[in-house]
Amino acid sequence: SKDSDHAVVVAVASRAVFEPGAGGGDGVYAEGVAFPLLQALQKVNERLLEENSAESLLFDIVLITTDSQQQQQSSQLISSTKHYGLEVSRFCFSTEEDFSESLLKNNVQLFLSTDRNEVSQTSQKGVLSALLDEYTASCPSEQLRVLLCGDAVIRPDTNPTPASRQAAQSFSARLGKMRQRFGMSDSPLSITLMTSCGGRDSCGGALQTLRSLGISADEAYCLAGAPQGPILSVLRPHFLLSDGFSGLED
Amino acid sequence: MSEMKPSDVAAAEDSSEEQDWNAAKTFFDSLKSNKPRPPKPRFAVSIAVSSRTLFNMVAERKIYEEEGVEKYVAFQVEHENEPLKPGPAFPFVKALMNVNSRLRELYPDSEELFDIVLMTNNHAQVGVRLINSINHYDLTIERFCMTGGKSPIGYLEAYMTNLYLSKDSDKVTEAIEAGIAAATVFMPEKESELSDTQLRVAFDGDAVLFSDESEIIVKQHGLDTFFEHEKHFENQPLAQGPLKCFLEALGKLQRKFYSKNERLNCPIRTFLVTARSAASSGARVLKTLRSWGLEIDEALFLAGAPKGPLLQKIQPHIFFDDQMFHIEGAKDLGTIAAHVPYGIGQKYHKGKLIEQPAKKE
Repeated sequence: SKDSDHAVVVAVASRAVFEPGAGGGDGVYAEGVAFPLLQALQKVNERLLEENSAESLLFDIVLITTDSQQQQQSSQLISSTKHYGLEVSRFCFSTEEDFSESLLKNNVQLFLSTDRNEVSQTSQKGVLSALLDEYTASCPSEQLRVLLCGDAVIRPDTNPTPASRQAAQSFSARLGKMRQRFGMSDSPLSITLMTSCGGRDSCGGALQTLRSLGISADEAYCLAGAPQGPILSVLRPHFLLSDGFSGLED
Repeated sequence: MSEMKPSDVAAAEDSSEEQDWNAAKTFFDSLKSNKPRPPKPRFAVSIAVSSRTLFNMVAERKIYEEEGVEKYVAFQVEHENEPLKPGPAFPFVKALMNVNSRLRELYPDSEELFDIVLMTNNHAQVGVRLINSINHYDLTIERFCMTGGKSPIGYLEAYMTNLYLSKDSDKVTEAIEAGIAAATVFMPEKESELSDTQLRVAFDGDAVLFSDESEIIVKQHGLDTFFEHEKHFENQPLAQGPLKCFLEALGKLQRKFYSKNERLNCPIRTFLVTARSAASSGARVLKTLRSWGLEIDEALFLAGAPKGPLLQKIQPHIFFDDQMFHIEGAKDLGTIAAHVPYGIGQKYHKGKLIEQPAKKE
């Protein structure tokens, strides 16, 4: 059961979960890039409930779509979800104009989508948002891997607003709390810190900032200008959050 | 074997790499500190060291083995403001830093420097103590990977690592199998005075710089056959071994000093310490090096005599050998020795075939 006071609401664009248009046969959609991610979120919930069957700090997964085609076939969306055994608590159908409001109304703490424009818009409206890409599809489904970027250079085109920084910090703090439910090894959730520009003091500072938010990072990578691509392809995070973790800002 | 870094890459990769590099450059320049900026990985000689080779973590390791990971991490966090003591690779790292200072003096705009990366599968919370310790000794280590228990091999490749030093022989073996020069470093039994103005690196020949092809002959057919074989094939270069590319990288940096007239004062010196004898089997080794365009400063042919006493005189910052017998001899007399787990030498101990227990599934 998911107590709405404590649940961490994660909204995923339905186009990321299911391939738009393409039929998986039998009136069921084909798997999209966010599939392993959803499975990993579910795995975390399963393990949280194993530790404590009365746990209320769980992921609450919402599927949201503005895609008019998918809205028309809402029953197919719902049946596809059932077919794959995905634990989606709610389906939101929204227009493009109301999209961000819809997210805010549903108390969404994190929005994930493969659409760069969508992510940029919702981010500006103060909803913590992260972009999924083709690499997300190749991530493991047994462990949710979240990457926190200590210096905000992963997405240089977005300007972190104070609101989005706050959203990032509060989401990550909840994640940190979830992480504490598990031991050091065999955790279904892994939190990784990466600083791409600065040297060891940047990373050290970011580790301390995370600690002050109640987040105990599992892994840490300090690149100091080394190319991110090769490292990210080994790290394979499901998504990355890039605001509010620098030890050196503000 | 570790290849020299490719200079031709797809344009798309180049531009994102440039972006990452420029962002960091801007950041470092804005710091306005005396700290040298870390070099561009593509041009640098990347040396990855594990936490246990850089620092002495013997006591902490004991806690990990006897009480488990949670107690171990808690201990490290509790003591994170106490700097760790130097480990076996510490003098080597200091010597690398000295070479970098000399290179920066002569070539202030060059990225061809040593890049020292901390590569550990420690948990990030232990990282705070590691960073504090690095700060305490003011080591120029700005890049690190703390993998929280995961294998570092993928990251070694991502960093285009030229040499990986660890205390864990399984990881070292994995790295060598992936074509990365690697060795397991041992703490010597006693301390010795090492040069602080010159990096001194000693290599065994067969199965380190060269392949183990000749060693196979010794082990399977004996010394006489070996001598005949080597004389017969004197002019045929040996195949390369796991550390050949590292010697090559050192040679490239040495030539930068030579071209500025610093040959006599060169802060890098390399040694070949081989059980081969000069008369019967040495020629092939020297001809092989020449065919590769590589120089070695001093070649010492021991004709089977123990390596320990000679290494005591050389006092290298690190000595690479494939046979544990030589590693033990070296460390007994105070030399920092690093085992290269490659080739037929792994199946023998002091000339006798080791009985292998049936491999566990």
